Amino acid sequence: MDTKLKNTSHFKWTKLVAIIIVWLGFLGTMGGCFYLFENRHIAKSSSYIETYSFENNFSELLYNTVEHYVTLQNEANIKYSTDDLHTEAENLLRFQRIKNQLSAIDNFFYYICNTENGETWSNLAGKTADPIQFIQKQPANAYFNAWTSDSSISISRNVESLMADSPYETYAAVVEPLQAGDLFYDDYMDYMQTKARINAATVISIISFILMAIAFIYLIYITGRREPEGQIVPDRTGRMYTDVHTILVLIAAMLSLFIAPGISVDVPKVLSIIAIAVVLSLDIFIGLFYVLSMVEQIKTGQIFTNTLLYKLGSALNAFLRLAFQGKVFKEWILLLLLGYGLINGLLFILCAETYRDYFGGVPFLFMLLLLLAFNAGSIYFAARSLVALPQIMEAVKEISAGNLDYPLNSTLIPASLAAFAEDIRSLQGGLKKAVIAAVKGERMKTDLITNVSHDLKTPLTSIINYVDLLKKENLENEAAAEYINVLEEKSSRLKQLIEDLMEASKASSRNLAVAGEKVDLQELMMQACGEYEEKIQKAQLELHILAADEAIFVRADGKHMWRIAENLLSNVIKYSMPHSRVYVDIASDNAYGTFTIKNISAFPLNIMPEQLTERFVRGDESRSTDGSGLGLSIAQSLTDLQGGKFQLEIDGDLFKATVAIPLWAEE
Amino acid sequence: MEKLNVLVCDDDSAIADALEIYLKHENYGVIKAYTGAQALQALSEHEIHLILLDIMMPEMDGLSATIRIREERNIPIIIISAKSEDTDKIAGLNFGADDYVTKPFNPLELMARVKSQMRRYTALGSIALKNGILKTGGLELDREGKELRVDGEIIRLTPTEYGIVVLLMENMGHVFSIAQIYEQVWNEPSYSAENTVAVHIRRIREKIEINPKEPKYLKVVWGIGYKIEKY
Repeated sequence: MDTKLKNTSHFKWTKLVAIIIVWLGFLGTMGGCFYLFENRHIAKSSSYIETYSFENNFSELLYNTVEHYVTLQNEANIKYSTDDLHTEAENLLRFQRIKNQLSAIDNFFYYICNTENGETWSNLAGKTADPIQFIQKQPANAYFNAWTSDSSISISRNVESLMADSPYETYAAVVEPLQAGDLFYDDYMDYMQTKARINAATVISIISFILMAIAFIYLIYITGRREPEGQIVPDRTGRMYTDVHTILVLIAAMLSLFIAPGISVDVPKVLSIIAIAVVLSLDIFIGLFYVLSMVEQIKTGQIFTNTLLYKLGSALNAFLRLAFQGKVFKEWILLLLLGYGLINGLLFILCAETYRDYFGGVPFLFMLLLLLAFNAGSIYFAARSLVALPQIMEAVKEISAGNLDYPLNSTLIPASLAAFAEDIRSLQGGLKKAVIAAVKGERMKTDLITNVSHDLKTPLTSIINYVDLLKKENLENEAAAEYINVLEEKSSRLKQLIEDLMEASKASSRNLAVAGEKVDLQELMMQACGEYEEKIQKAQLELHILAADEAIFVRADGKHMWRIAENLLSNVIKYSMPHSRVYVDIASDNAYGTFTIKNISAFPLNIMPEQLTERFVRGDESRSTDGSGLGLSIAQSLTDLQGGKFQLEIDGDLFKATVAIPLWAEE
Repeated sequence: MEKLNVLVCDDDSAIADALEIYLKHENYGVIKAYTGAQALQALSEHEIHLILLDIMMPEMDGLSATIRIREERNIPIIIISAKSEDTDKIAGLNFGADDYVTKPFNPLELMARVKSQMRRYTALGSIALKNGILKTGGLELDREGKELRVDGEIIRLTPTEYGIVVLLMENMGHVFSIAQIYEQVWNEPSYSAENTVAVHIRRIREKIEINPKEPKYLKVVWGIGYKIEKY
């Protein structure tokens, strides 16, 4: 827990540092790039003379020089060339201004000569013997005459127009290295400074960018993690919906784009830089948190689920499911309903529109027929689905009642319920398979028991026969005679066991024929008690039969009924307390005829009645009297087989067995 | 008197040997066979008066042998089989067997059945039926002499038992309920639920049947009544 907290706080701090690095790096990168962009011409230029600033200054000076010497020439010429005093004054002023300007320049040199009279003007006098060659040697030079020009740099002022139709040739150049003290030198100094700054800005930009990138990648890496190398834990709390977030970020970006150009106008430069930095900072924070949020949601796989659209969609979906009780209505049924409404509405509108008796009411009649036909068709379609439903319900009822071969006629079932019907059919098939497998397994078990019983009977026959033969021998030994008696008793017990085992397996597997005869329950119990009369007396029991006034007819198999009665009565004889009474009640209710046998057990019955009907369970497991322990199980199976109910009750030492068999119903 | 011969046919020699001992004890001559084919062979070589035949045997089973024997011979056949299903018994009897005993059998009961079949087979000529004699299988009721005989042996009955037998023999195949029997034999209306009749029937069965639990003549129709089978 501690380490976890530590890790979390560790992450918090590094995260904060990384965010600050991204922020500063972004500002640095943006600032540097902005500076580079602002001074892109200087950055691009390889030397000062390639700059616009130099070209402008050079062009202006050249122009002014030409104007001064070629156009204006001198004060006399100015006065002579125009009558307009105002123009004259202006030209004089300009002449003087240019003169002053030229005198302040130290690095600009010119050589102008008149080709007609050989008159020249130059500020190169005394500096060089061949001014033309000197000028042409300079990297920034220009040559103009009346018809052509030849310059090493581009001239932005229209010097040609001044030179046109004049006999002059003009040579001009800025001589390097530059001398301190004039416009060009100052400008050059500025250029050099800017150049140095550009280099610094480039380095700052690159370093800032690299730092920002590293910090950014780190942030992306740790986003969503609670500990280093740990699981990515989705943070559901306080998370904005992705799409809402995106829209807000876009709005912020638009706002900053609107604001940014407005800042640089009419504001001192420092202020505007601060303002832009603030706006950029806001943008980078908004953008960074947006990106990190997206990254986290991509990592946790919530990018699409955590959207307002998705939430609205699933809410709508849930609502629709609720509204239509889910599952039952599929999407296409909804579409079908919508389609039905749409087409009906359309037809109705068309009906209403055509009602105004165009073309003798024929279109209206046509539309009305179309409307009626469409609705009739829809109702027929719906009705067919509804009619098919009871059919499917009937099939399901039959299947659940055990009729697994009930055919579900697929030709009458419409497409909308076909899949449902198909599912029921496959369910039916699966059930049938299971039942067949179960029946097969039970039959195999019965067959196994039958076969084993047959195989046991043959050796048992020999045992019984030879025990009998041995008994007939004149054995002197008394003990031997006693042993033979034990053998005889046990071999007959074995015989009984085998027979009961076969019968129990047949009865419980329902592998037994059952005749539905009209059996008088009273007659049956009389007969059964008659068969057991002597044994009952021998067991010192008193039998009481409580019969109904009239015969009770049940639908049963007489032989099976006898077997049930026989098993119950032989139990009574085996397990009843001597000198107690045994009651046999015969009665009926509206559906069943019942007989109940009650006796007092000679031994405590500390066992659940349900266990008594389980095979091989006997009331007292330690006893080794005769009986296979299958009697009650067989009785129960046979009762079930005849559609009856077999019930055992134990109340202290009172043992009560009730057999209820469906009453005989005349067809 | 010439010895009567019994053909014992069972693939289990221990059972065949045991049967031989019992039969010889009853003064019968015994010929043993271990397959259906051997049985047919023995039948053609010896004079046989009765056959004890197992069903499940190699080389022709007991049922096939029964069919083959019945094609030309009329001698009694008692099938002895481990198959105890009703369907097996019905099949055996339908194929021509005279009796069907399931393994493991009680040797005394089997001997009784052998004797019964033998008496009927060897009875010289048919006894001319006197007036007033009712007969089904080996069961004869002489109403004039007030005697009941099973396979010629006189059975001792109490007057009530005799009354019941007369009622059932005079209406052979007809099922009488306890109440009907009581009213006709006791000549009293039956009011209370009594199992007296059932007790009497059981006693009669013990006297006339070889195996009272599987009666041949006096049969219980469970839940309906009693009848004497008509053969």
